[in-house]
Amino acid sequence: MPRVIEAYIGEYASGKSENAVNRALELAGRGRQVNLVDLDLVEPCYTLRPLKRRIEEKGITVLAWETGEMIGLGEIGNLLRPEVRFCLHRPGDVILDVGYGVFGAQVFNLIEGADRNPDLKVYVVINIARPLTATVPDVVAHVRELGRADGLINNSHLGDETNIEFIQEGARIVDEAARILGIPVVATSVLEDLAPLIGDRDCRGHPVRVLKRFMPRAFW
Amino acid sequence: MGSKPIEGERKVFMTGNEAVAWAALAAGADIMYGYPITPQNEIMQYWTRLGPKYNKKFLQTEDELSAGFTTIGGVLAGRRAFTATAGPGNVLMQEPMSMAEAMRIPTVVVIQQRGGPSTATVIYSQQEVTLTCFGGNGEGLRVVYSTSSHQDLFDYTIKAFNTAWKYRFPTFVLSDGYQAKMRESVVIYDPEARGIRMVPTEPFLGKAGTPGEDRPAAHLRNTYNIEEELLEVLSKDIEEYERVAPEIIEYDAYNTENADLLVIAHGVVFRSAAMAVKELANQGYKIGYFRPITLRPFPREQLRQAAQQAKQLLVVESAYGQLLKIVQDNLYGLNVPIKTLLRPGVGITPEEIAEKAKALLAGKEA
Repeated sequence: MPRVIEAYIGEYASGKSENAVNRALELAGRGRQVNLVDLDLVEPCYTLRPLKRRIEEKGITVLAWETGEMIGLGEIGNLLRPEVRFCLHRPGDVILDVGYGVFGAQVFNLIEGADRNPDLKVYVVINIARPLTATVPDVVAHVRELGRADGLINNSHLGDETNIEFIQEGARIVDEAARILGIPVVATSVLEDLAPLIGDRDCRGHPVRVLKRFMPRAFW
Repeated sequence: MGSKPIEGERKVFMTGNEAVAWAALAAGADIMYGYPITPQNEIMQYWTRLGPKYNKKFLQTEDELSAGFTTIGGVLAGRRAFTATAGPGNVLMQEPMSMAEAMRIPTVVVIQQRGGPSTATVIYSQQEVTLTCFGGNGEGLRVVYSTSSHQDLFDYTIKAFNTAWKYRFPTFVLSDGYQAKMRESVVIYDPEARGIRMVPTEPFLGKAGTPGEDRPAAHLRNTYNIEEELLEVLSKDIEEYERVAPEIIEYDAYNTENADLLVIAHGVVFRSAAMAVKELANQGYKIGYFRPITLRPFPREQLRQAAQQAKQLLVVESAYGQLLKIVQDNLYGLNVPIKTLLRPGVGITPEEIAEKAKALLAGKEA
């Protein structure tokens, strides 16, 4: 399997970090060398902060600020961690957890070589329970606004109140939006307790990725 | 896209800040004034993303003093106007909200508490209770709703507009950075579909007719020549505040009858308290909780009723005694012992509360 370089972008609270962390752990679980990069410029390190050490214990290199290394987060502007700029030059797989914000894929301007890296895939995470990405036209407009997108991930859920019907409804909407956009649906993400009920494929035939929830450990 | 932001109701998954923006839209707010500060920024961000679709307005001012005064200006012009802030911004907001208190202007302010004093943390605390309830150089004639969930944020933001416009006291929705950023499911709805009628707004200034002839002059004052003039106006406002307080007061209580321990908490900490109390009650302990939803006006009689049956009380908050002071003031004269779990600026888990409660119930802690 060639080098995996994936960036997870999308609407605020769409599930980018959850999907990125799970993907990194899945790859590491197969014995691969993995770098997980916190590229959230709006709320850097909040998303991965409480998890950083736990993820590192699994053998993953986490490129994210330690809380104590920064001051005045969120308001005084942010400092890009130097190795984040050069993360694509590191050996092994690279999973980028991209923060929200109106600039979407423009953030890749900050990453050396992102514009010409042949392996980089930019995946947009979609949850149809998010009001601004609830319908096919909303999803299409949202993805076009982000700039670059190489695939969609259906991450439709309602937190603890998620059910299979809701996930499948997400699969139908995301599938339709992807068809209009002319890009593939990479996967449907499903929480581990619901995974046995859905099987390996969603109702549109896209592969199911099983998620463990880590973000409840992150207060933000 | 329909003319209404929300048709009927729908279940969505969102952050607390978004719930506020959607609630303001659903409530028919016309304009938000604001100055950015974490952790309330996404209220502004979502208002400005959603607003243009529904012909809503936004003004970013140069600071929170100005955001507060322009909110008052919007209300004087008859607009359903609001603002949102946090921490040091809430400190600045007190000067305009004092004026709103003086002039009886129905302002709505959403507070997402962050750590203090000063800039402290952008993350979380419950340290703006005293400031939000009693800030400004006045008597605290205002309404403060303390929310504990996204559903609360949605419901009480809508309600705040109606409370403000009905009673003409500045109204605050007091939340915190955890609620602001946390994600959970919430049912958003068109208030009309739930039978909630929005209190109509009207301009305070520039009304039709000649002042003094066709109608009384709109003479809104925040300054007086002599002490007695001020006393007369304040006495009338205080009398009115106390008269309407029973209609405004809200609280939640569980298992309060002859409790060995009554846990008192508000806001997001109440969620932890409720989990701990229910867990211990299921194990057979005589334990209950009391949650003030309105911190101003405070559910004094209801708390006294519950507290006088209890063997001891436990006040839990992410501050060093701000809710505690309000509780002590309202329970003055009762001799029930008050114990505390005070953790300024940090979250409190159900496990921590359960541990403290068990120690108190076992008589291991004085």
